[in-house]
Amino acid sequence: MWHIAKRELYDNLNSLRFALTMVLLLGLMLTNALVHLQEHPAQIKKYRASVAVALNALRSRTDLYDIAQRGPGLLYKKPSALGFCAEGGDTLLPDAVGRNDTVWEDGELKSFWTMKYPSTTPDLKNIRSDITKVDWAFIIGSVLSLIALLFTFDSISGERERGTLRLILANSIPRHTVLTGKFLGALISITIPFTLAVLMNLLVISMSSAIRLDAEAWGRLSIIFFLVLVYMCLFLALGLLVSARVRQSAVSLVILLLTWIVFVVFMPSVLPSIVSGFSPAPMTADEFQERIVQLDRELLSKYDNRLWADETLKTKQVRSEYVTRDAEIQERLNEKHLTQQIDQVQRARTVSRVSPVTIFQHLLELFAGTGFERHLQFLENAQRYAREYREFVIDTDNTDPESLHLIGVREGMSQKPVSPEAVPIFEDTFSLSRDFNAAAVDLLLLMLFVIVLLSGAYLAFVHVEV
Amino acid sequence: MMLTLIRRELLDNLMTFRFAVAVFIMLFLVVANTAVLIKDYERRLAGHKTEVQKSRKYMLDGKTYSVGELNIDRPPNPLSIFNAGLDKRLGNEIWVYYGHVPTLWDAEKHSSQNPFMNILSSIDIVFIFEGVLSLLALIFAYDTLAGEYERGTLRLVLTHPVSRGYILVAKYISAMVCLLVPLLMSLILAMFLLTTSASFSLSMPDFLRIGGIIFASIAYLSVFYLIGMLISAMTRRTSTALMLSMFVWGFLVLVYPNMIVAVIQPSNPPEERRASVHNHIKQIWEEFERERKQFLATDRHLEGDPYGNMRWRGGYNFEHFQDKASVLQHYYYAGAEIDGFHEEPESQALHVQNYHRFLVPLIIDTAERTWRIREPVLEELFILPATIDRAWLRLSPTGIYDVATQALAGTDLQGMQDFFTAVQQHRQSVIDYYYDKNAFGSRQWFSADKETVDWRTLPQFIFQRSDISLNVQRALPDLFLLLTLNIVLFIGVFLIFVRREV
Repeated sequence: MWHIAKRELYDNLNSLRFALTMVLLLGLMLTNALVHLQEHPAQIKKYRASVAVALNALRSRTDLYDIAQRGPGLLYKKPSALGFCAEGGDTLLPDAVGRNDTVWEDGELKSFWTMKYPSTTPDLKNIRSDITKVDWAFIIGSVLSLIALLFTFDSISGERERGTLRLILANSIPRHTVLTGKFLGALISITIPFTLAVLMNLLVISMSSAIRLDAEAWGRLSIIFFLVLVYMCLFLALGLLVSARVRQSAVSLVILLLTWIVFVVFMPSVLPSIVSGFSPAPMTADEFQERIVQLDRELLSKYDNRLWADETLKTKQVRSEYVTRDAEIQERLNEKHLTQQIDQVQRARTVSRVSPVTIFQHLLELFAGTGFERHLQFLENAQRYAREYREFVIDTDNTDPESLHLIGVREGMSQKPVSPEAVPIFEDTFSLSRDFNAAAVDLLLLMLFVIVLLSGAYLAFVHVEV
Repeated sequence: MMLTLIRRELLDNLMTFRFAVAVFIMLFLVVANTAVLIKDYERRLAGHKTEVQKSRKYMLDGKTYSVGELNIDRPPNPLSIFNAGLDKRLGNEIWVYYGHVPTLWDAEKHSSQNPFMNILSSIDIVFIFEGVLSLLALIFAYDTLAGEYERGTLRLVLTHPVSRGYILVAKYISAMVCLLVPLLMSLILAMFLLTTSASFSLSMPDFLRIGGIIFASIAYLSVFYLIGMLISAMTRRTSTALMLSMFVWGFLVLVYPNMIVAVIQPSNPPEERRASVHNHIKQIWEEFERERKQFLATDRHLEGDPYGNMRWRGGYNFEHFQDKASVLQHYYYAGAEIDGFHEEPESQALHVQNYHRFLVPLIIDTAERTWRIREPVLEELFILPATIDRAWLRLSPTGIYDVATQALAGTDLQGMQDFFTAVQQHRQSVIDYYYDKNAFGSRQWFSADKETVDWRTLPQFIFQRSDISLNVQRALPDLFLLLTLNIVLFIGVFLIFVRREV
């Protein structure tokens, strides 16, 4: 078997396609590294600056009522250090949630802070050409998969055309050994240029002083490298399968290219659109606004005549209740809107998993810490922080014996100054274990693809008439 | 002789597996995608219609001139099905305010759609042609010369008294005919789908534009066929030719357009320049603010606050600076809608009227002054990089084809700017209308107690997509480039083939 693999390898190493692959991959990976070196420090700088502004605003408040009413301001999404692996449409996703502007004001009552999710798309003003970002997901997902097909389309049909297959099989080697040998030979001959390109890419990136990759990042990178190997196996197996079934290598290539186009171009972009056309659409921004106004009015009609009746403790209780209820209702509606939007995208993404290219892309985004899954994680972090923040307000209020414990009314809350250090601070975190959980299905699907295609190639090759 | 050659080649090509595949995949991709794109267009059109109604309602709701909400919504371009260009990406809601010159960068996007859906990619018909058509052309071309050479049939053909040029032309014509079949079939089906959809009303010029896109597609197809022929003429083995063709395809279509735009990013984003110009604009408005304060100070009836001395009965007023540094937006925004007064402040109202008669022309004037600074900088910051992108993209036939079809469909940058130029003109006509009506000095400018504004006499905004001749004019350099590329490649193939030893 190793003999066959070695033969294949030598064959490939001297071929034109090996040289061209080398040049193409090195060029792409170098571009990727240089662009990342230019973009990432700017991104980090912007993130730090905005976080510092938000933090200063938060630290400047000492009054508990102010802290509770105005909230922690905008919460920013931390850019991933591995953004060069997969961009994941991050420029199209909001990079912050939460806002602290007062929605309504009625005398001394003010609306309380609630979590809000921006409904606009950033990057609207960009008039530069619409392109796919040259990240690993593109280099591997599109270019390397094409190269894998070009390495295998003639590996069996070509030998059959030349008549050398008969020679090999005349020896006393079982067919599956021949197939495995060919498979390994092709895998190794693609892995060599790819590994070299990746090493150069990482070398360039890690040499820069502006970007530091920590241990977790290297761990993630090795997971990504493993994923790439699995993904390459998938396309090599596809190539072998078609090559074994078809008599002419030209026909084999045509079929493979067709499959490739359907996987890479058609499925990821057309299927989600079809599905999202059929699935229930979330409420539009207008409907959402209408609903908020309606709920506000309903709530106000319940409390209106009791709010300003007198200045007794009971009325103050009513006021506190009103403000708290209002914040709750707003928050619930916002969350419902967000869930509807997320559900629609999730449905579309689920369907596009029919294509292994999309599965691979999702996995890469997940482990690179970009894209939609990452955004969901950020939203979870932000929501958890919002709960912590509220609990902090209530706990601080409870520790003050002089306070009336009426959240939502200025004179009903603790008047003691709050130390700025005590206020909880938002920290956006990445969690590898969560990523693994989210990746399980995709990983399984990808493996399944590989196994099905490999056994298909085996069956096809066993039945080949020479 | 020529006919015999063509017939032979044609039969050779038509009976192949690759021809069947070409027809099948083109039909499948184009039809499936057109159906999706039509649905998408219908959704955008519906969004546009509700938005137009909504903004009309808002406009009619405004009781005074100063709070008039004049929103204009950009209609989706039906030809964005062929090449979406910037049509979907840019903002489609623009606000016409006398104190600010509206541009592409002030537009917002009305969010009838789930904003997360933007991360899902979508493709248009030209994108399919870019990728698939070029690939098919190369698959048809790679063995046309190398294959005959390998099989030895080339020698046979050349024993006949035919010139080599004839053979090349015959091969070229027959292959192009074969490739045109899937192209035209899929386009006809797409057009059929378009015409059956109720929301599409394509006019004669639109059909001409589509004709132009088809012409560009044929030229593009031919370029790739000739590239394939060139490779085939240069190599002696079909397998080498095939490998080389695939890598050339991967480079020209897949890698180069994406790589070049990533590489030529403006090396240091001109942040300082933006900041300094933004400051300059702010200073001009500060100057305006000083003048305004000065005017208020000189009139003792106003005492620094025009509405302060009036005892209103309902209504609201606002005045503040709008600011968005990233697009150099900074302007003064003020308005009032007062429902009535507790006591008749006749003389006071006259003073406020006087104040507005002074203020609004000053705002307009300041807006013009800042616009003269802002316009060239916007050009430098945003349009210049985009133009450089497009220039570099033209090094690949895919880029040329993309730019040409965008220009023909009217979804390119210039097509978008046509719309915003029309909005700017509309703003001018609204200002003229205000002057005509003497609106600034009138009581209806800020108060709705006596009379409310009749918005129905306001000039209507009309936008017509640019003339077809203009579209063609914009696409012409790129079409010319494609044709020249064809000729150069053909001559190259001819020269190599003529000198070749059989």
